[in-house]
Amino acid sequence: MKLARDTWLLFHRYTIQMLRNPVWLFVGFSTPLLYLVLFTPLLKHFSSPQIGSSASVIDLFLPGILALLAFASGMAGGFGTIFELQEGVIERLRVTPASRFAILIGPVLSGMLMMFVFDSVVVAAAAGFGFTINWIGLAVLVVLLGLLMITMSAFSVATALVTKDISSFAAIMNGLNLPILLLAGVLLPITLGPAWMRVLAHFNPLYYAVEGARALSTGAYHNPAVWQAFAVLVPLCAVVVTWATGVFRRAVA
Amino acid sequence: MTPTAHTISTRELSKTFPSRTGPVEAVRGVNLQVGAGEIFGLLGPNGAGKTTTMRMLTTLLPIGAGSATVAGFDVSRHPQRVRENIGYVSQLGGADQLATGRENLLLQGRLYGASLAELRPRIDELAEILDLSAFTDRRVKTYSGGQRRRLDVALGIVHQPKVLFLDEPTTGLDPQNRADLWEHLRALRDRGTTIVLTTHYLEEADVLCDRLVIVDHGRIVIEGTPRDLKRRVAGDAIVITLREDADTDGRSMALLEREPYVREISASGDQLRLYVEDGSAALPQLLRILDRERIGVRSMNLSEPTLDDVFLRQTGRSLRDTEPAGDQPEESEVAA
Repeated sequence: MKLARDTWLLFHRYTIQMLRNPVWLFVGFSTPLLYLVLFTPLLKHFSSPQIGSSASVIDLFLPGILALLAFASGMAGGFGTIFELQEGVIERLRVTPASRFAILIGPVLSGMLMMFVFDSVVVAAAAGFGFTINWIGLAVLVVLLGLLMITMSAFSVATALVTKDISSFAAIMNGLNLPILLLAGVLLPITLGPAWMRVLAHFNPLYYAVEGARALSTGAYHNPAVWQAFAVLVPLCAVVVTWATGVFRRAVA
Repeated sequence: MTPTAHTISTRELSKTFPSRTGPVEAVRGVNLQVGAGEIFGLLGPNGAGKTTTMRMLTTLLPIGAGSATVAGFDVSRHPQRVRENIGYVSQLGGADQLATGRENLLLQGRLYGASLAELRPRIDELAEILDLSAFTDRRVKTYSGGQRRRLDVALGIVHQPKVLFLDEPTTGLDPQNRADLWEHLRALRDRGTTIVLTTHYLEEADVLCDRLVIVDHGRIVIEGTPRDLKRRVAGDAIVITLREDADTDGRSMALLEREPYVREISASGDQLRLYVEDGSAALPQLLRILDRERIGVRSMNLSEPTLDDVFLRQTGRSLRDTEPAGDQPEESEVAA
Protein backbone atom coordinates (compact mmCIF):
# COMPACT_ATOMS: atom_id res chain seq x y z
CA MET A 1 0.00 0.00 0.00
CA LYS A 2 2.67 2.45 1.10
CA LEU A 3 4.94 1.18 -1.66
CA ALA A 4 2.27 1.81 -4.29
CA ARG A 5 1.53 5.27 -2.87
CA ASP A 6 5.20 6.30 -2.71
CA THR A 7 5.79 4.97 -6.22
CA TRP A 8 2.81 6.90 -7.54
CA LEU A 9 3.92 10.13 -5.81
CA LEU A 10 7.43 9.92 -7.22
CA PHE A 11 6.20 8.80 -10.66
CA HIS A 12 3.89 11.81 -10.71
CA ARG A 13 6.68 14.16 -9.63
CA TYR A 14 9.06 13.10 -12.39
CA THR A 15 6.37 13.09 -15.06
CA ILE A 16 5.39 16.67 -14.23
CA GLN A 17 9.03 17.71 -14.32
CA MET A 18 9.61 16.15 -17.72
CA LEU A 19 6.50 17.71 -19.18
CA ARG A 20 7.78 21.10 -18.01
CA ASN A 21 11.04 20.67 -19.86
CA PRO A 22 10.34 21.61 -23.50
CA VAL A 23 13.89 20.92 -24.71
CA TRP A 24 13.76 17.43 -23.33
CA LEU A 25 10.34 16.80 -24.93
CA PHE A 26 11.54 18.07 -28.30
CA VAL A 27 14.63 15.86 -28.30
CA GLY A 28 12.57 12.92 -27.07
CA PHE A 29 10.21 13.19 -30.01
CA SER A 30 12.72 14.12 -32.67
CA THR A 31 15.45 11.52 -32.01
CA PRO A 32 13.47 8.44 -33.07
CA LEU A 33 11.97 10.31 -36.01
CA LEU A 34 15.47 11.28 -37.16
CA TYR A 35 16.43 7.61 -37.22
CA LEU A 36 13.44 6.89 -39.40
CA VAL A 37 13.96 9.80 -41.76
CA LEU A 38 17.75 9.73 -42.03
CA PHE A 39 18.45 6.01 -41.83
CA THR A 40 15.59 4.21 -43.56
CA PRO A 41 16.48 5.64 -46.99
CA LEU A 42 19.91 4.01 -46.69
CA LEU A 43 18.24 0.62 -46.39
CA LYS A 44 16.54 0.87 -49.77
CA HIS A 45 19.23 -1.13 -51.52
CA PHE A 46 19.16 -4.00 -49.07
CA SER A 47 16.94 -6.74 -50.33
CA SER A 48 15.19 -8.91 -47.80
CA PRO A 49 16.81 -12.21 -48.79
CA GLN A 50 20.17 -10.58 -48.09
CA ILE A 51 19.27 -10.21 -44.43
CA GLY A 52 17.77 -13.63 -44.31
CA SER A 53 14.11 -12.85 -43.88
CA SER A 54 11.01 -12.57 -45.95
CA ALA A 55 9.85 -9.46 -44.12
CA SER A 56 10.39 -6.03 -45.60
CA VAL A 57 13.40 -4.05 -44.50
CA ILE A 58 11.53 -1.57 -42.34
CA ASP A 59 9.84 -4.46 -40.53
CA LEU A 60 13.32 -5.47 -39.36
CA PHE A 61 14.63 -1.99 -38.83
CA LEU A 62 11.84 -0.54 -36.71
CA PRO A 63 11.98 -3.08 -33.85
CA GLY A 64 15.70 -2.37 -33.72
CA ILE A 65 14.99 1.34 -33.28
CA LEU A 66 12.46 0.60 -30.53
CA ALA A 67 14.96 -1.58 -28.68
CA LEU A 68 17.61 1.08 -29.15
CA LEU A 69 15.29 3.71 -27.67
CA ALA A 70 14.51 1.52 -24.67
CA PHE A 71 18.20 0.84 -24.15
CA ALA A 72 19.35 4.42 -24.64
CA SER A 73 16.63 6.08 -22.56
CA GLY A 74 17.38 3.62 -19.79
CA MET A 75 21.12 4.22 -19.94
CA ALA A 76 20.56 7.99 -19.85
CA GLY A 77 18.53 7.73 -16.63
CA GLY A 78 21.58 8.17 -14.43
CA PHE A 79 22.36 11.63 -15.76
CA GLY A 80 19.28 12.92 -13.98
CA THR A 81 20.43 11.10 -10.86
CA ILE A 82 23.82 12.82 -10.95
CA PHE A 83 22.11 16.17 -11.29
CA GLU A 84 19.78 15.38 -8.40
CA LEU A 85 22.68 14.25 -6.25
CA GLN A 86 24.35 17.60 -6.83
CA GLU A 87 21.13 19.51 -6.15
CA GLY A 88 20.56 17.61 -2.91
CA VAL A 89 17.28 16.12 -4.16
CA ILE A 90 18.34 12.49 -3.66
CA GLU A 91 19.45 13.28 -0.13
CA ARG A 92 16.17 15.01 0.65
CA LEU A 93 14.22 12.00 -0.58
CA ARG A 94 16.44 9.56 1.28
CA VAL A 95 15.77 11.25 4.60
CA THR A 96 12.02 10.77 4.15
CA PRO A 97 10.46 7.44 5.12
CA ALA A 98 9.59 6.84 1.44
CA SER A 99 10.26 3.30 0.23
CA ARG A 100 13.77 2.96 -1.23
CA PHE A 101 12.35 0.84 -4.05
CA ALA A 102 9.85 3.60 -4.85
CA ILE A 103 12.61 6.22 -4.93
CA LEU A 104 14.32 4.09 -7.58
CA ILE A 105 11.35 2.90 -9.59
CA GLY A 106 9.13 6.04 -9.56
CA PRO A 107 11.29 7.98 -12.00
CA VAL A 108 12.01 4.83 -14.03
CA LEU A 109 8.32 4.22 -14.62
CA SER A 110 7.85 7.85 -15.50
CA GLY A 111 10.62 7.61 -18.09
CA MET A 112 9.01 4.44 -19.39
CA LEU A 113 5.65 6.13 -19.90
CA MET A 114 7.37 8.88 -21.89
CA MET A 115 9.25 6.29 -23.92
CA PHE A 116 6.02 4.56 -24.92
CA VAL A 117 4.54 7.89 -25.98
CA PHE A 118 7.56 8.50 -28.23
CA ASP A 119 7.42 4.89 -29.41
CA SER A 120 3.83 5.23 -30.56
CA VAL A 121 4.74 8.30 -32.58
CA VAL A 122 7.55 6.37 -34.25
CA VAL A 123 5.38 3.35 -34.96
CA ALA A 124 2.70 5.56 -36.46
CA ALA A 125 5.30 7.33 -38.60
CA ALA A 126 6.87 4.03 -39.64
CA ALA A 127 3.48 2.75 -40.73
CA GLY A 128 3.63 5.60 -43.23
CA PHE A 129 6.96 4.22 -44.46
CA GLY A 130 5.38 0.84 -45.03
CA PHE A 131 5.76 -0.86 -41.63
CA THR A 132 3.09 -3.49 -41.15
CA ILE A 133 1.65 -3.31 -37.65
CA ASN A 134 1.02 -6.61 -35.92
CA TRP A 135 -1.08 -5.65 -32.90
CA ILE A 136 -0.62 -8.73 -30.74
CA GLY A 137 3.08 -8.79 -31.44
CA LEU A 138 3.27 -5.12 -30.56
CA ALA A 139 1.49 -5.73 -27.25
CA VAL A 140 4.04 -8.37 -26.21
CA LEU A 141 6.80 -6.12 -27.51
CA VAL A 142 5.67 -3.39 -25.10
CA VAL A 143 6.34 -5.77 -22.19
CA LEU A 144 9.75 -6.70 -23.60
CA LEU A 145 10.77 -3.07 -24.14
CA GLY A 146 9.52 -2.18 -20.67
CA LEU A 147 11.71 -4.88 -19.13
CA LEU A 148 14.72 -3.70 -21.10
CA MET A 149 14.13 -0.08 -20.14
CA ILE A 150 13.72 -0.86 -16.42
CA THR A 151 16.87 -2.98 -16.42
CA MET A 152 19.00 -0.33 -18.12
CA SER A 153 17.55 2.52 -16.00
CA ALA A 154 18.16 0.73 -12.74
CA PHE A 155 21.69 -0.07 -13.86
CA SER A 156 22.33 3.52 -14.90
CA VAL A 157 20.84 5.09 -11.76
CA ALA A 158 22.77 2.75 -9.46
CA THR A 159 26.00 3.42 -11.37
CA ALA A 160 25.36 7.15 -10.98
CA LEU A 161 24.86 6.72 -7.22
CA VAL A 162 28.08 4.75 -6.94
CA THR A 163 30.27 7.02 -9.10
CA LYS A 164 28.64 10.26 -7.86
CA ASP A 165 30.28 12.54 -10.40
CA ILE A 166 29.37 13.27 -13.96
CA SER A 167 32.73 12.61 -15.59
CA SER A 168 33.28 9.06 -14.33
CA PHE A 169 29.63 8.24 -14.84
CA ALA A 170 29.62 9.51 -18.43
CA ALA A 171 32.85 7.67 -19.15
CA ILE A 172 31.41 4.36 -17.94
CA MET A 173 28.16 4.81 -19.85
CA ASN A 174 29.86 5.83 -23.10
CA GLY A 175 32.35 3.01 -22.75
CA LEU A 176 29.52 0.50 -22.43
CA ASN A 177 27.15 2.00 -24.98
CA LEU A 178 29.13 1.43 -28.11
CA PRO A 179 30.16 -2.24 -27.77
CA ILE A 180 26.72 -3.20 -26.49
CA LEU A 181 24.95 -1.44 -29.36
CA LEU A 182 27.30 -2.69 -32.07
CA LEU A 183 27.16 -6.26 -30.81
CA ALA A 184 23.39 -6.35 -30.67
CA GLY A 185 22.59 -5.78 -34.32
CA VAL A 186 20.36 -2.90 -33.37
CA LEU A 187 20.21 -1.22 -36.75
CA LEU A 188 21.25 -4.08 -39.00
CA PRO A 189 20.92 -7.75 -38.01
CA ILE A 190 24.06 -9.33 -36.60
CA THR A 191 23.49 -12.20 -39.05
CA LEU A 192 25.18 -9.93 -41.59
CA GLY A 193 28.38 -10.10 -39.56
CA PRO A 194 31.15 -12.72 -39.41
CA ALA A 195 30.96 -15.77 -37.17
CA TRP A 196 33.00 -14.33 -34.30
CA MET A 197 30.61 -11.38 -34.04
CA ARG A 198 27.64 -13.69 -33.98
CA VAL A 199 29.26 -15.67 -31.16
CA LEU A 200 30.10 -12.57 -29.12
CA ALA A 201 26.57 -11.25 -29.58
CA HIS A 202 25.26 -14.20 -27.61
CA PHE A 203 26.87 -12.72 -24.50
CA ASN A 204 25.06 -9.45 -25.00
CA PRO A 205 21.63 -9.15 -23.36
CA LEU A 206 20.60 -6.42 -25.79
CA TYR A 207 21.11 -8.87 -28.67
CA TYR A 208 18.35 -11.10 -27.28
CA ALA A 209 16.04 -8.13 -26.80
CA VAL A 210 16.58 -6.99 -30.39
CA GLU A 211 16.09 -10.47 -31.84
CA GLY A 212 12.96 -10.96 -29.75
CA ALA A 213 11.64 -7.56 -30.80
CA ARG A 214 12.16 -8.41 -34.50
CA ALA A 215 10.33 -11.71 -34.17
CA LEU A 216 7.46 -10.11 -32.26
CA SER A 217 6.90 -7.21 -34.59
CA THR A 218 6.48 -9.60 -37.51
CA GLY A 219 4.10 -11.73 -35.48
CA ALA A 220 6.43 -14.74 -35.27
CA TYR A 221 5.51 -15.56 -31.67
CA HIS A 222 6.77 -19.12 -31.90
CA ASN A 223 10.21 -18.03 -32.93
CA PRO A 224 12.61 -19.17 -30.16
CA ALA A 225 14.02 -15.64 -30.12
CA VAL A 226 10.88 -14.54 -28.23
CA TRP A 227 11.14 -16.85 -25.25
CA GLN A 228 14.90 -16.49 -25.25
CA ALA A 229 14.55 -12.72 -24.93
CA PHE A 230 12.31 -13.08 -21.89
CA ALA A 231 14.48 -15.82 -20.43
CA VAL A 232 17.43 -13.42 -20.51
CA LEU A 233 15.69 -10.17 -19.55
CA VAL A 234 13.42 -11.30 -16.68
CA PRO A 235 16.21 -12.61 -14.43
CA LEU A 236 18.57 -9.82 -15.50
CA CYS A 237 15.97 -7.20 -14.62
CA ALA A 238 15.36 -8.82 -11.22
CA VAL A 239 19.07 -8.91 -10.42
CA VAL A 240 19.79 -5.34 -11.52
CA VAL A 241 16.76 -3.83 -9.78
CA THR A 242 17.63 -5.67 -6.56
CA TRP A 243 21.18 -4.40 -6.76
CA ALA A 244 20.05 -0.82 -7.47
CA THR A 245 17.57 -0.81 -4.58
CA GLY A 246 20.38 -2.11 -2.43
CA VAL A 247 22.58 0.81 -3.46
CA PHE A 248 19.90 3.24 -2.28
CA ARG A 249 19.45 1.33 0.97
CA ARG A 250 23.09 0.58 1.69
CA ALA A 251 24.04 4.19 1.52
CA VAL A 252 21.52 4.56 4.30
CA ALA A 253 22.61 2.07 7.00
CA MET B 1 13.78 1.49 21.19
CA THR B 2 14.08 2.49 24.79
CA PRO B 3 12.85 6.04 25.25
CA THR B 4 15.50 8.26 26.77
CA ALA B 5 15.26 11.49 28.65
CA HIS B 6 17.10 13.14 25.80
CA THR B 7 15.71 13.68 22.33
CA ILE B 8 19.11 12.89 20.90
CA SER B 9 21.94 11.06 22.54
CA THR B 10 25.08 9.59 21.07
CA ARG B 11 27.74 7.38 22.59
CA GLU B 12 31.25 7.44 21.18
CA LEU B 13 29.86 8.17 17.72
CA SER B 14 32.65 7.75 15.16
CA LYS B 15 33.16 7.64 11.43
CA THR B 16 36.26 6.89 9.41
CA PHE B 17 36.47 7.39 5.65
CA PRO B 18 38.98 5.68 3.43
CA SER B 19 41.01 8.07 1.31
CA ARG B 20 43.97 7.94 -1.02
CA THR B 21 46.26 9.04 1.80
CA GLY B 22 44.92 6.48 4.26
CA PRO B 23 41.87 6.42 6.52
CA VAL B 24 40.57 9.77 7.72
CA GLU B 25 38.82 9.88 11.06
CA ALA B 26 36.11 12.44 10.37
CA VAL B 27 34.28 11.89 13.66
CA ARG B 28 36.02 10.43 16.69
CA GLY B 29 34.02 9.50 19.71
CA VAL B 30 31.35 12.19 19.88
CA ASN B 31 29.02 12.13 22.89
CA LEU B 32 26.00 14.38 22.59
CA GLN B 33 22.94 14.91 24.73
CA VAL B 34 20.25 17.12 23.29
CA GLY B 35 17.15 17.87 25.33
CA ALA B 36 13.63 18.31 23.97
CA GLY B 37 12.78 21.77 22.71
CA GLU B 38 16.24 23.27 22.59
CA ILE B 39 18.26 24.76 19.79
CA PHE B 40 21.51 22.85 19.84
CA GLY B 41 24.50 23.91 17.79
CA LEU B 42 27.54 22.16 16.41
CA LEU B 43 30.09 24.91 15.91
CA GLY B 44 33.39 24.35 14.22
CA PRO B 45 35.52 25.05 11.18
CA ASN B 46 34.84 23.35 7.85
CA GLY B 47 35.96 19.75 7.90
CA ALA B 48 35.57 19.47 11.68
CA GLY B 49 33.10 16.59 11.32
CA LYS B 50 29.87 18.51 11.87
CA THR B 51 28.19 17.47 8.65
CA THR B 52 29.34 13.86 8.98
CA THR B 53 27.90 13.73 12.50
CA MET B 54 24.61 15.15 11.26
CA ARG B 55 24.47 12.77 8.31
CA MET B 56 24.85 9.81 10.66
CA LEU B 57 22.09 11.13 12.92
CA THR B 58 19.74 11.58 9.95
CA THR B 59 20.30 8.00 8.65
CA LEU B 60 22.05 9.25 5.50
CA LEU B 61 25.37 7.69 6.44
CA PRO B 62 25.90 4.39 8.23
CA ILE B 63 27.25 4.87 11.74
CA GLY B 64 30.92 3.93 11.80
CA ALA B 65 31.25 3.06 15.47
CA GLY B 66 29.40 3.89 18.66
CA SER B 67 25.65 4.45 18.78
CA ALA B 68 23.03 7.14 18.47
CA THR B 69 19.43 7.52 19.53
CA VAL B 70 17.17 10.08 17.88
CA ALA B 71 13.60 10.76 19.02
CA GLY B 72 13.74 7.59 21.09
CA PHE B 73 14.92 5.26 18.32
CA ASP B 74 18.28 3.67 17.72
CA VAL B 75 19.55 5.07 14.44
CA SER B 76 21.25 1.87 13.25
CA ARG B 77 18.50 -0.51 14.20
CA HIS B 78 15.42 1.57 13.41
CA PRO B 79 16.38 4.06 10.69
CA GLN B 80 12.84 4.05 9.33
CA ARG B 81 11.37 5.11 12.69
CA VAL B 82 14.01 7.81 12.99
CA ARG B 83 13.14 9.12 9.51
CA GLU B 84 9.47 9.35 10.44
CA ASN B 85 10.33 11.63 13.34
CA ILE B 86 12.87 14.01 11.89
CA GLY B 87 13.15 16.75 9.33
CA TYR B 88 16.40 17.57 7.59
CA VAL B 89 17.54 20.64 5.70
CA SER B 90 20.83 19.95 3.96
CA GLN B 91 23.33 22.55 2.81
CA LEU B 92 21.98 22.10 -0.69
CA GLY B 93 18.29 22.21 0.17
CA GLY B 94 17.21 19.95 -2.63
CA ALA B 95 13.86 21.41 -3.69
CA ASP B 96 12.63 20.58 -7.20
CA GLN B 97 13.51 23.55 -9.39
CA LEU B 98 10.82 22.93 -11.98
CA ALA B 99 8.05 22.56 -9.42
CA THR B 100 6.39 25.35 -7.45
CA GLY B 101 7.01 25.80 -3.76
CA ARG B 102 3.53 24.49 -3.02
CA GLU B 103 4.03 21.38 -5.17
CA ASN B 104 7.30 20.71 -3.40
CA LEU B 105 5.67 21.04 0.00
CA LEU B 106 2.71 18.85 -0.96
CA LEU B 107 4.94 16.06 -2.25
CA GLN B 108 7.22 16.24 0.77
CA GLY B 109 4.29 16.10 3.18
CA ARG B 110 2.70 13.21 1.33
CA LEU B 111 5.93 11.21 1.34
CA TYR B 112 5.64 11.40 5.12
CA GLY B 113 2.14 9.96 4.87
CA ALA B 114 0.07 13.12 5.33
CA SER B 115 -3.10 13.52 3.27
CA LEU B 116 -3.86 16.39 0.91
CA ALA B 117 -6.67 17.52 3.19
CA GLU B 118 -4.28 17.76 6.13
CA LEU B 119 -1.56 19.39 4.12
CA ARG B 120 -3.44 22.18 2.34
CA PRO B 121 -4.20 24.30 5.42
CA ARG B 122 -0.86 23.38 6.98
CA ILE B 123 1.06 24.62 3.95
CA ASP B 124 -0.88 27.89 3.93
CA GLU B 125 -0.03 28.36 7.58
CA LEU B 126 3.60 27.48 7.02
CA ALA B 127 3.84 29.86 4.08
CA GLU B 128 2.42 32.58 6.32
CA ILE B 129 4.90 31.88 9.12
CA LEU B 130 7.95 31.72 6.84
CA ASP B 131 6.88 34.62 4.59
CA LEU B 132 6.50 32.40 1.57
CA SER B 133 2.91 33.27 0.68
CA ALA B 134 3.75 35.72 -2.08
CA PHE B 135 5.52 33.13 -4.20
CA THR B 136 4.40 29.63 -3.14
CA ASP B 137 2.84 29.15 -6.56
CA ARG B 138 5.88 30.20 -8.50
CA ARG B 139 8.49 27.73 -9.73
CA VAL B 140 11.41 27.34 -7.35
CA LYS B 141 14.02 28.26 -9.95
CA THR B 142 12.71 31.84 -9.87
CA TYR B 143 13.32 32.17 -6.10
CA SER B 144 16.02 34.35 -4.57
CA GLY B 145 18.56 32.83 -2.17
CA GLY B 146 16.65 33.85 0.92
CA GLN B 147 13.34 32.65 -0.49
CA ARG B 148 14.85 29.29 -1.38
CA ARG B 149 16.33 28.84 2.07
CA ARG B 150 12.98 29.56 3.70
CA LEU B 151 11.35 27.02 1.40
CA ASP B 152 14.07 24.52 2.35
CA VAL B 153 13.18 25.04 6.00
CA ALA B 154 9.49 24.70 5.19
CA LEU B 155 10.25 21.38 3.45
CA GLY B 156 12.06 20.26 6.58
CA ILE B 157 9.08 20.94 8.85
CA VAL B 158 5.98 20.43 6.69
CA HIS B 159 5.41 17.01 8.29
CA GLN B 160 5.76 18.48 11.79
CA PRO B 161 8.80 16.49 12.91
CA LYS B 162 9.88 16.21 16.54
CA VAL B 163 13.46 17.00 15.61
CA LEU B 164 14.71 19.32 12.89
CA PHE B 165 18.29 19.05 11.61
CA LEU B 166 19.75 22.00 9.72
CA ASP B 167 23.13 21.86 8.04
CA GLU B 168 24.61 25.37 7.76
CA PRO B 169 21.14 26.91 7.50
CA THR B 170 22.19 30.50 6.82
CA THR B 171 25.25 30.07 4.61
CA GLY B 172 24.95 32.41 1.67
CA LEU B 173 22.21 34.54 3.21
CA ASP B 174 22.52 38.27 3.72
CA PRO B 175 22.40 39.57 7.32
CA GLN B 176 18.74 40.54 7.13
CA ASN B 177 17.64 37.14 5.81
CA ARG B 178 19.84 35.47 8.37
CA ALA B 179 18.27 37.36 11.26
CA ASP B 180 14.81 36.60 9.89
CA LEU B 181 15.55 32.89 9.67
CA TRP B 182 16.84 32.90 13.26
CA GLU B 183 13.55 34.43 14.30
CA HIS B 184 11.62 31.65 12.51
CA LEU B 185 13.75 28.96 14.13
CA ARG B 186 13.21 30.41 17.61
CA ALA B 187 9.47 30.47 16.99
CA LEU B 188 9.66 26.82 15.92
CA ARG B 189 11.55 25.91 19.08
CA ASP B 190 9.00 27.75 21.19
CA ARG B 191 6.35 25.47 19.72
CA GLY B 192 8.27 22.43 20.95
CA THR B 193 10.51 21.36 18.07
CA THR B 194 14.03 20.28 18.94
CA ILE B 195 16.49 21.90 16.56
CA VAL B 196 20.02 20.75 15.84
CA LEU B 197 22.13 22.85 13.54
CA THR B 198 25.69 23.02 12.32
CA THR B 199 27.32 26.35 11.73
CA HIS B 200 30.69 27.91 11.31
CA TYR B 201 29.32 31.36 12.10
CA LEU B 202 30.27 32.47 15.61
CA GLU B 203 27.44 34.92 15.80
CA GLU B 204 24.89 32.34 14.78
CA ALA B 205 26.04 29.93 17.46
CA ASP B 206 26.13 32.70 20.04
CA VAL B 207 22.81 34.36 19.34
CA LEU B 208 20.67 31.45 18.25
CA CYS B 209 21.77 28.34 20.14
CA ASP B 210 20.55 27.47 23.61
CA ARG B 211 23.43 25.07 23.95
CA LEU B 212 26.31 24.11 21.74
CA VAL B 213 29.38 22.02 21.33
CA ILE B 214 32.53 23.23 19.65
CA VAL B 215 33.86 20.56 17.33
CA ASP B 216 37.37 20.36 15.96
CA HIS B 217 39.09 17.49 14.13
CA GLY B 218 36.16 15.18 14.78
CA ARG B 219 36.07 15.69 18.53
CA ILE B 220 34.01 17.77 20.91
CA VAL B 221 36.29 20.41 22.30
CA ILE B 222 33.90 21.96 24.79
CA GLU B 223 30.19 21.99 25.54
CA GLY B 224 27.79 24.39 27.22
CA THR B 225 25.53 27.39 26.79
CA PRO B 226 27.11 30.26 24.86
CA ARG B 227 27.17 32.32 28.05
CA ASP B 228 28.81 29.55 30.09
CA LEU B 229 31.44 28.97 27.49
CA LYS B 230 32.30 32.64 27.31
CA ARG B 231 32.35 32.94 31.08
CA ARG B 232 34.82 30.08 31.22
CA VAL B 233 37.23 32.21 29.25
CA ALA B 234 37.09 34.32 32.40
CA GLY B 235 37.41 38.00 32.05
CA ASP B 236 37.87 40.28 29.10
CA ALA B 237 40.10 40.00 26.10
CA ILE B 238 42.53 42.77 25.19
CA VAL B 239 44.26 42.89 21.86
CA ILE B 240 47.32 45.11 21.66
CA THR B 241 48.77 45.85 18.26
CA LEU B 242 52.39 46.97 18.50
CA ARG B 243 54.18 49.24 16.10
CA GLU B 244 56.27 47.34 13.64
CA ASP B 245 59.79 46.72 14.96
CA ALA B 246 58.69 47.89 18.40
CA ASP B 247 59.24 44.47 19.85
CA THR B 248 61.81 42.26 18.16
CA ASP B 249 62.77 40.04 21.08
CA GLY B 250 59.42 39.21 22.71
CA ARG B 251 60.23 41.65 25.49
CA SER B 252 56.68 42.99 25.75
CA MET B 253 55.21 39.57 26.31
CA ALA B 254 57.63 38.74 29.10
CA LEU B 255 56.97 42.14 30.59
CA LEU B 256 53.18 41.92 30.65
CA GLU B 257 53.11 38.29 31.69
CA ARG B 258 54.43 39.35 35.09
CA GLU B 259 51.43 41.52 35.84
CA PRO B 260 49.20 39.76 38.40
CA TYR B 261 45.89 40.62 36.70
CA VAL B 262 46.97 39.09 33.36
CA ARG B 263 45.60 35.58 33.28
CA GLU B 264 46.80 34.56 29.91
CA ILE B 265 48.80 36.07 27.14
CA SER B 266 49.69 34.98 23.64
CA ALA B 267 51.48 36.65 20.78
CA SER B 268 51.06 36.33 17.04
CA GLY B 269 52.88 38.65 14.66
CA ASP B 270 52.72 42.15 16.00
CA GLN B 271 49.65 41.39 18.10
CA LEU B 272 49.41 40.49 21.77
CA ARG B 273 46.26 38.88 23.06
CA LEU B 274 45.61 39.04 26.80
CA TYR B 275 42.87 37.80 29.04
CA VAL B 276 42.39 39.93 32.12
CA GLU B 277 39.88 40.04 34.93
CA ASP B 278 38.78 43.61 34.46
CA GLY B 279 39.57 45.01 31.09
CA SER B 280 38.77 48.65 31.65
CA ALA B 281 41.01 48.78 34.73
CA ALA B 282 43.83 46.90 33.01
CA LEU B 283 43.99 49.07 29.90
CA PRO B 284 45.66 52.17 31.41
CA GLN B 285 48.04 50.04 33.43
CA LEU B 286 49.15 48.03 30.40
CA LEU B 287 49.61 51.18 28.38
CA ARG B 288 51.72 52.72 31.16
CA ILE B 289 54.06 49.71 31.30
CA LEU B 290 54.56 49.60 27.56
CA ASP B 291 55.10 53.34 27.43
CA ARG B 292 57.68 53.20 30.22
CA GLU B 293 59.64 50.58 28.32
CA ARG B 294 59.31 52.60 25.11
CA ILE B 295 57.46 49.88 23.25
CA GLY B 296 55.36 51.57 20.57
CA VAL B 297 51.68 50.75 20.59
CA ARG B 298 49.54 51.26 17.52
CA SER B 299 46.20 50.29 19.05
CA MET B 300 44.55 48.63 22.00
CA ASN B 301 41.18 46.92 21.86
CA LEU B 302 39.07 45.73 24.70
CA SER B 303 36.40 43.16 24.00
CA GLU B 304 34.03 40.90 25.82
CA PRO B 305 35.04 37.30 25.17
CA THR B 306 33.46 35.74 22.10
CA LEU B 307 33.03 32.11 21.15
CA ASP B 308 36.10 32.63 19.01
CA ASP B 309 38.06 33.27 22.20
CA VAL B 310 36.66 30.02 23.54
CA PHE B 311 37.74 28.21 20.39
CA LEU B 312 41.15 29.87 20.50
CA ARG B 313 41.61 28.90 24.14
CA GLN B 314 40.77 25.27 23.42
CA THR B 315 42.52 24.72 20.12
CA GLY B 316 45.17 27.39 19.90
CA ARG B 317 43.70 28.53 16.59
CA SER B 318 41.14 31.14 15.70
CA LEU B 319 37.93 29.96 14.08
CA ARG B 320 38.17 32.93 11.76
CA ASP B 321 41.61 31.86 10.54
CA THR B 322 40.86 28.22 9.87
CA GLU B 323 41.11 27.28 6.23
CA PRO B 324 37.73 27.09 4.53
CA ALA B 325 38.75 23.84 2.85
CA GLY B 326 39.59 21.79 5.91
CA ASP B 327 39.54 18.01 5.76
CA GLN B 328 38.76 17.09 2.19
CA PRO B 329 36.90 13.83 2.85
CA GLU B 330 34.01 15.52 4.54
CA GLU B 331 33.56 18.00 1.73
CA SER B 332 33.70 15.47 -1.07
CA GLU B 333 31.45 13.25 0.93
CA VAL B 334 28.68 15.84 1.21
CA ALA B 335 27.28 14.82 -2.13
CA ALA B 336 27.09 11.15 -1.18
